[in-house]
Amino acid sequence: MRDDPVTTPVALIEDLAVTFRRGGRDIHALRGVSLDIRPAEILGLVGESGSGKSVLGMSLLGLLPGTPQTRGRVLVHGEDMLVAPPAVRRRLRHEHLGAVFQDPMTSLNPTMRVGAQVAEAADGSGAEAERLLKAVGIPEAGRRMSAYPHELSGGLRQRVMIAMAIAGKPSLVIADEPTTALDVTVQAQVLALIRSLRDEIGCSFLLITHDLGVAAQVADRVAVMYAGRLAECGPTDAVLQAAAHPYSLGLMTSRLTLESPRDTRLATLPGEVPSPADPPPGCPFEPRCALSTEACTETLPDAVEIAPDHLSACILPISEVRSHSVESRSVPHPPEPESGKHLPLLDESTVVVRRVEKTYRVGKGLAKGRLRALREVDLTVAAGESVAIVGESGSGKSTLLRIIGGLERADLGDVTHGRVQMVFQDCGASLTPWLTVGELIGERLPRAARKEEVERALERVGLPAEVAGAKAGQLSGGQRQRVALARATVIPPEILLCDEPTSALDVSLAAGVINLIAGLRRDLHMAVVFVTHDLSVARIVADRIAVMYLGRIVEQGPAEDVVGSPRHPYTKALVAAIPDFGVKPIPLEGEPASPLNPPTGCAFHPRCPIALPVCSDADLDPRLIGIGSGAARMVACIHPEVA
Amino acid sequence: MLRLIAKRLAGMAAIIFALTAVIFLLQKISPLDPVHAMLGGNASKAAIAQQRHALGLDRPILSQFWHYLGGLLHGDFGTSYRTRRPVGSDLGFFVPATLELAFYGLLFAIVLAVLLAFGTTLNWPGARLLRVVLLAGASTPAFLLAIGAIIIFYQHLGWLPATGRTDLTNAPDGPTGLLTLDGLLNGRLDVTVDAFKHLILPGLAVAAGPAVSIGRVLRSSLIGEMQSGYAKTARAKGLTEGRVLRGHVLRNSLGPALSMTGLQVGLMFAGVLVIEEIFSWPGIGQYTAQSIPVADFPAIAGVTLLLGVGYVVINTIVDILQAIADPRINI
Repeated sequence: MRDDPVTTPVALIEDLAVTFRRGGRDIHALRGVSLDIRPAEILGLVGESGSGKSVLGMSLLGLLPGTPQTRGRVLVHGEDMLVAPPAVRRRLRHEHLGAVFQDPMTSLNPTMRVGAQVAEAADGSGAEAERLLKAVGIPEAGRRMSAYPHELSGGLRQRVMIAMAIAGKPSLVIADEPTTALDVTVQAQVLALIRSLRDEIGCSFLLITHDLGVAAQVADRVAVMYAGRLAECGPTDAVLQAAAHPYSLGLMTSRLTLESPRDTRLATLPGEVPSPADPPPGCPFEPRCALSTEACTETLPDAVEIAPDHLSACILPISEVRSHSVESRSVPHPPEPESGKHLPLLDESTVVVRRVEKTYRVGKGLAKGRLRALREVDLTVAAGESVAIVGESGSGKSTLLRIIGGLERADLGDVTHGRVQMVFQDCGASLTPWLTVGELIGERLPRAARKEEVERALERVGLPAEVAGAKAGQLSGGQRQRVALARATVIPPEILLCDEPTSALDVSLAAGVINLIAGLRRDLHMAVVFVTHDLSVARIVADRIAVMYLGRIVEQGPAEDVVGSPRHPYTKALVAAIPDFGVKPIPLEGEPASPLNPPTGCAFHPRCPIALPVCSDADLDPRLIGIGSGAARMVACIHPEVA
Repeated sequence: MLRLIAKRLAGMAAIIFALTAVIFLLQKISPLDPVHAMLGGNASKAAIAQQRHALGLDRPILSQFWHYLGGLLHGDFGTSYRTRRPVGSDLGFFVPATLELAFYGLLFAIVLAVLLAFGTTLNWPGARLLRVVLLAGASTPAFLLAIGAIIIFYQHLGWLPATGRTDLTNAPDGPTGLLTLDGLLNGRLDVTVDAFKHLILPGLAVAAGPAVSIGRVLRSSLIGEMQSGYAKTARAKGLTEGRVLRGHVLRNSLGPALSMTGLQVGLMFAGVLVIEEIFSWPGIGQYTAQSIPVADFPAIAGVTLLLGVGYVVINTIVDILQAIADPRINI
């Protein structure tokens, strides 16, 4: 079997351990991982932050930063990437490996033309570079050769990265979160590209991702990592539909999909990932595992074969793991005190945004332009209501939130609102680093009541009172977002504005924060306006969803209706692009146009599958109009099948 | 680009106006009296009054100011009280020497800065020594370096000359006044070589401080950019560290170093004036040093305005270079 060229792996990782030395402590990033990557397969490497998945990718490239301690072997073409001399590793990277990284803006050299960057990977050949750019689906490749990265959209930039990665026909491409920084419609395009390139070139892909849905979409096999160890590995269908490790199961149940139950608390994993500086001696998942036994705390479980080609690192019998997962799937919310789900009356409105316009002046010289962030937007939020604003980058969703929050002033139109507080995406950057948590939360309070109120606020967000003495830098991401919520709600606002509060968090923590926001909203009777790019999050947190595209709301209505039966072609495309198990995404063509120069007529018409000639008419101004019964459901589309 | 230049020209006019106003004010509140300085302590009252009238100093101050500004517009900087020649022709005589010294100082500074930055960024045995040099260089005043260099390279080793611009008595005096260039233009290679030898010590003394400042800024941006995403991409392509540095990281690191160069040019002019004294360099440094004690207002004003204009020009060039280095900058 081993000598058969078809099954000889393109890369073989044996008992790989990597330990970094940081600040006088040993950080155990990988602790004995074995994995093979087979010819022409897409192996999805799934894990949360700190699982060691990126370190594994960098080990394969022979690009581990600094001089970590290593154990085991990482074989690529017969050479051990851990110990081979730098020149040998460089040659292997050049001839046999390719790499795609997360953020295509920072991963491309901003001062070098993309043609030259691709040519550099293709032994200096401009003709080959152009062929590669065509191969990855870049329109007008010849002209784009002389473009700089900032002149390309995010999706095109990532295609350029992929062109560099496949230059010279590598046998393995390491793609580290290649779609995480992209909009969901563009993500579907890039995943489709990876799949077709694998079919054409026959190279293997190691697809590193935190998103099980992404892995489900394209991977042949999936490896799940947790705290520097392999938890489970097997064929994609087997791992996703018949997971054998409690962590994989937990990941799967806390993942939000368009089918997640709305009126129940989301299943969450308790606790957090153990510190890589001080991992427990037993199973690393044991402290968070509902099934843990005494034996789990004693020895590190190795991955064993539980079915053909399916490995799991759990010592419990598989039947026990699976039976438990079914009963713990969902816990209902406590019953609501009053019937809160019906749509509130208009006179209870706490936020009214009427015909708001916002234009930014950007750039100078020839590149000077007017960025039309919001174009005549109307939005009403009733007292106690939760509204999600959904859109891709450049849709104006964050600008709208900032205008509601009073951080920006609208150029035109009226905004009225009650007392607001905001919670931001990057909870690390939004907490002042030299203040303690207690000082951060208490700064708006009178001195006398401060200590008591801070403790109460911390308790509400599920943090112990001792956290008040810590600084933001000492907390984990999930804890920091809870502190941000405690700060915002220590004096309960009428409206809580959340700007992508969960998108920087791991799946298991994001579910906890969403539960917390739902709980706070109920207890403190706040309205919530929640900005997100993720329809499945919006569907869970919101009573109503407003979908934005290029500075306009194109559809709004009750959350379940908008997601369940989208009407606007853009909403339909958004729903279809969400990667999920057993769903074949239909990628929308193209990318959002620049808000610097929105298309005439309906701004969506260049990408719209059902566009009529009249849709591009400069005089056309599609407004939100009510459909069906009542004014709850509104769509801005003139197509007869829609309205 | 044209917009930028037009903007800078307007800025230059404003700077010249402001500088002139400040110098005028300084002259009026200064206890030094140019007439006394010109005629000596024993001059008669009548002679002083006559001289005052001849210089226009008896007119109202605003009228003097406007008169001077009007002259500037026609390229007339006034007449030096000390040399009794038009300041314009005095400057024309002294400026090329200073310009040549400043140019070579800047050239040496940039070359040294890049060497220091590269030498301390790449991993090699000498990197630590270079870092010590950087630190020592930053904390040593230019005049001390100059005196030390004269003692070692002139007095003890006798390798390099230490005074003046050239030892040759028949050096050509045209067309540019820059000896290294005039030598080439007149086919006199011996002049160019001799002038260059004379430039090495003062040039390096002028360059040391700016080289260290620019080098440190360049070094820190190089180190930062070496960790960047595109450097990771370049390594993943299989490029050597040297090629990652030269081919990708250097151009992206130039912005801050260029800004620093612009700032240092201003400081360098001040340094040049001191260094010229030490090396007996016949430039505007000496001219200024002799003009200040006798309150030679037109001469001081002429030098100041020249430096102000030079500063604006250099910084405009820096802005243009930054835009060339980084295609995202639009000017």
